[in-house]
Amino acid sequence: MKQGRSLRAYAIGYLVFLYAPILLLPVFAFNDSKIIAFPLSGFTTNWFSEMWSDAQVWIALKNSLTIAASASILATTFGIFAARASQRYRFPGKGAAMGLIMLPLVLPEMIVAMSLLVVLLAVGVPLSIFTVILGHVLICTPFAVAILTSAFQSLDRSLEEAAYDLGETPVSTFRLIILPLVMPGIISSLLICFTISLDEFIIAYFLAGADTVLSAYIYSQFRFPARVPAMLALGTILVLVSICLLTVAEYFRRRGIAKTGGKDTGGFL
Amino acid sequence: MSDAKTMIEFRDVHKYYGDYHALRGISASIRAGEFFSLLGPSGCGKTTLLRTIAGFEGIDKGAVLLDGKDMADVPANKRPTNMVFQSYAIFPHLSVEENVGFGLRRDPRSKTEKAAAVAEALEMVGLKGFGKRAAHALSGGQRQRVALARALILKPKVLLLDEPLSALDKKMREQMQVELIKLQRQVGITFVLVTHDQEEALVMSDRIAVMFEGEIAQLADPETLYRRPNSKKVADFIGTMNFIPCQVLSESGGQIEVDAKGLGRVALSPDQCPPGNGDTAMVGLRPETLTLLYPGQTTAERTVEGLVDEVIYFGDMTYYDVYLGGTDVEVRLSMRNVPGRPILEVGSKVDVAWSPSALVLFR
Repeated sequence: MKQGRSLRAYAIGYLVFLYAPILLLPVFAFNDSKIIAFPLSGFTTNWFSEMWSDAQVWIALKNSLTIAASASILATTFGIFAARASQRYRFPGKGAAMGLIMLPLVLPEMIVAMSLLVVLLAVGVPLSIFTVILGHVLICTPFAVAILTSAFQSLDRSLEEAAYDLGETPVSTFRLIILPLVMPGIISSLLICFTISLDEFIIAYFLAGADTVLSAYIYSQFRFPARVPAMLALGTILVLVSICLLTVAEYFRRRGIAKTGGKDTGGFL
Repeated sequence: MSDAKTMIEFRDVHKYYGDYHALRGISASIRAGEFFSLLGPSGCGKTTLLRTIAGFEGIDKGAVLLDGKDMADVPANKRPTNMVFQSYAIFPHLSVEENVGFGLRRDPRSKTEKAAAVAEALEMVGLKGFGKRAAHALSGGQRQRVALARALILKPKVLLLDEPLSALDKKMREQMQVELIKLQRQVGITFVLVTHDQEEALVMSDRIAVMFEGEIAQLADPETLYRRPNSKKVADFIGTMNFIPCQVLSESGGQIEVDAKGLGRVALSPDQCPPGNGDTAMVGLRPETLTLLYPGQTTAERTVEGLVDEVIYFGDMTYYDVYLGGTDVEVRLSMRNVPGRPILEVGSKVDVAWSPSALVLFR
């Protein structure tokens, strides 16, 4: 009983530590003061309009969304191929190939960013959002493979054989049976990769060149105290968008499970 | 049946998984319209053999012919076979009718005609009106029926069944066995069933191939298989068999005389003596071919004295373990529990009647 109480206190403390700072974001975004400190001085929406009229924010946001969308789609596509191949086929060097694909998961991002920068400069590729996409595909693919492997794993092999047996080709079997059944995994992979790419800093900072991306832009603005409240307003919007995105993804995941009669095991999110 | 044409022919089929020799020279033919079973313990190659018919497994040597045509270069989706999978493989994201009609996607018929075909197939398997249901909401027996309808709607030349009843409970299984037999007679399609359940194979099949370690040990109709197994292994796998050590006394013109421990001298006809394979000589006797004689009963068969060692009551039957003729040879025999037959007690002295024609010699 006593142990239960202390564990509960620990869990509450842990959650407060994790989420309380995020709650401060909207608090100071609506606070009528340039100084981020209590006591609060009054309510304002000025910071939102300041942020809204900042042309640089919109450019950075557009770049970041382009990067996140491209990286998540590419990484998920590669992930589908890799996960399918590792689940279904045996080939020489499979272990090594899968290991190398998964390596960026544990490799310090700094090393990835530095080595990519060196290589790109040596080859003479100009730095832009395109090079950031390259880097992000590299770090997102392991996540996509991990998520999709479990999706392909839960697929009964005989479903595929049944479709063949009923006259379908390998391609139409993939489209009619496999794809719909791993769709929750694909959506979840797209979402995770999108999120990883969107808030990634090191690679974006190293490889963007003259282009601005959101994470690097926000960081750069924190050097000017007067700009901080507007960035908190931007952060507040990002939190809201994330919550909406996760809710939608979770809705689709649960619907997918209900539709196929599976048991909900909590999922990735 | 015997003049029916051959539907499936295996010609010296070999299959390797790496170093493992999974199929070791299978040669057999399955007739058109036959209910054929591949029976054996797990790992004997029966499922592999079935999958070579469907085209899911390639073979390393030999040939598989379907309706006279070599299937070597025909992929699974072009073969005139359909399969009912052990897991049923019902597409979980489709409705019952979408599942059943799945194979008609490339059929040139109109939508209405296809819908009628689906409805007909569902009615055939007793699922009329279930079309709109979600496939995952069905019970095991219903999934089984959907899988059957889905495979039969394409009117294949051969229906392949991979342990289709193993996931059902006993009652349901027995019911589905009868339904499958009726269905097979109704559609007249060649059925090839894989099972490890000898009772299921005996109940359902016209002919059975018993497989051990990648080879067919015996291919025969159920009665021959049961009454005249060609080896100790087959005899042991199918039903219960008492094995009694014996000595071969003489062999002339097919007639073999043996001295079986506890039973005495017996003359056996050639059909009771399958070719030997180097085992210690034994005679086999099924439990139901031995009969306990109750006081006052007489018999034309030979008798031997026995001592009841164990009584196992089964409701409709009682099994007795009996020592024969004062020896240490113990046999199991079964008696139906009909009125006027009291259950005997352990230690009773009894007379056991048996018939020489029920014996099979293994050596």
